[in-house]
Amino acid sequence: MTVAIIDYGSGNLHSAAKAFERATRVSPEPQKIAVTRDPEAVYRADRIVLPGVGAFADCRRGLDALDGMLEALTEAVRVKARPFLGICVGMQLMATRGKEHVTTDGLNWVEGDVEKITPRDENLKIPHMGWNTLEVLREHPVLERLDLGPKGRHAYFVHSYHLNAADEANVLARADYGGPVTAIVGKDTAIGTQFHPEKSQRFGLALISNFLKWKP
Amino acid sequence: MILFPAIDLKNGQCVRLEQGDMARATVFNLDPAAQARSFAAQGFEYLHVVDLDGAFAGKPVNAQAVEGMLKVVTMPVQLGGGIRDLRTVEAWLDKGITRVIIGTAAVRDPELVKSAARKFPGRIAVGLDARDGKVAVEGWAETSQVTALEIAQRFEDAGVAAIVFTDIARDGLLKGLNLDATIALAERISIPVIASGGLASIEDVKAMLTSRAKKLEGAIAGRALYDGRLDPAAALALIRNARAAA
Repeated sequence: MTVAIIDYGSGNLHSAAKAFERATRVSPEPQKIAVTRDPEAVYRADRIVLPGVGAFADCRRGLDALDGMLEALTEAVRVKARPFLGICVGMQLMATRGKEHVTTDGLNWVEGDVEKITPRDENLKIPHMGWNTLEVLREHPVLERLDLGPKGRHAYFVHSYHLNAADEANVLARADYGGPVTAIVGKDTAIGTQFHPEKSQRFGLALISNFLKWKP
Repeated sequence: MILFPAIDLKNGQCVRLEQGDMARATVFNLDPAAQARSFAAQGFEYLHVVDLDGAFAGKPVNAQAVEGMLKVVTMPVQLGGGIRDLRTVEAWLDKGITRVIIGTAAVRDPELVKSAARKFPGRIAVGLDARDGKVAVEGWAETSQVTALEIAQRFEDAGVAAIVFTDIARDGLLKGLNLDATIALAERISIPVIASGGLASIEDVKAMLTSRAKKLEGAIAGRALYDGRLDPAAALALIRNARAAA
């Protein structure tokens, strides 16, 4: 089994790759983690991870700059039904549009726009940086046995924007930061987390392990 | 072999398209229920219905027309178009649809087909539409590089009742069924396969009754029934005779 982590010049690859390496050590099936810029490798991978930090438009440009990557990614996930995990801006790219400074098209796998978070409490700073609990709205194989909820484990967030999904059914979990923040979206064989599982310690590793076991 | 007469619904009317192009729709009957009744009277035994608007919208659009048909016929009805979640599957089966056909969602969300087939054994079919052997989704607007066989193999042990295999290039053009491709698919999987797209005349029905096609469950007849190229009485008599001889 191969897990392709797409390298499109968007940062946090090292920590993502390291977290996946650690998670595979406890995985029942051996998994090869490949950090790659090669569309062919993405097309053939058994699982695909799209990390991402920075601005939505920059990440989209980075993805477009790799010749054939968008086609390979779309085909692998939307036709071959390969499990997909988007992290942070990688998750936001799953949306219809990004509205960070300029409007940019997303992959449109989860209908909705990526919009600025607007905490009701003025003392809450933007970007939202820190640890939050998650409220689970829908069950999902990737969220099994993660001990979430108000007294459960914490996820690490760094962001100013979030995915405002058009259909609530695609929101699997929310955090609260002076109002609801979309934390996890899921549709078909794709799932995305606004927070960074690779920086969320044991909970993050457990989520990545679940993703590696997920057979949709 | 079962010959399924097709009723494709667009704006509540019974239409035929050419190569799946919504811009090339011919209205054949304003009243789908009357069309269903007429197919029943001709002696057909299983109706094939497609909610075309639903296939594009991703959810049922012509529900009223479908329910109207269910009221007037007693034969089993299979339905496809816009069925993309378990709730919709359940709702249709509840309303009296015998078998639902999952198309786009079977490509994008294989787990839906598997869980639906577990919950409703024998009542879930998969619709695979191909252009040059490669699967197309979203009301056929998009084609992929993945073959129909690859997708079909996902469901080998899932309890899927049938695969409706449509050759888009032929659909609505009356150039004959693509039997070679359909049989090639049927020979490599154990799920029964239904041939669709291009059925033009009694010759196609005869070809379906030859020994090389005996792995196929049946074929769907669309335009040829509406424009008179295929005489339903003659076709159904051939099928009856073949059954009696078997």
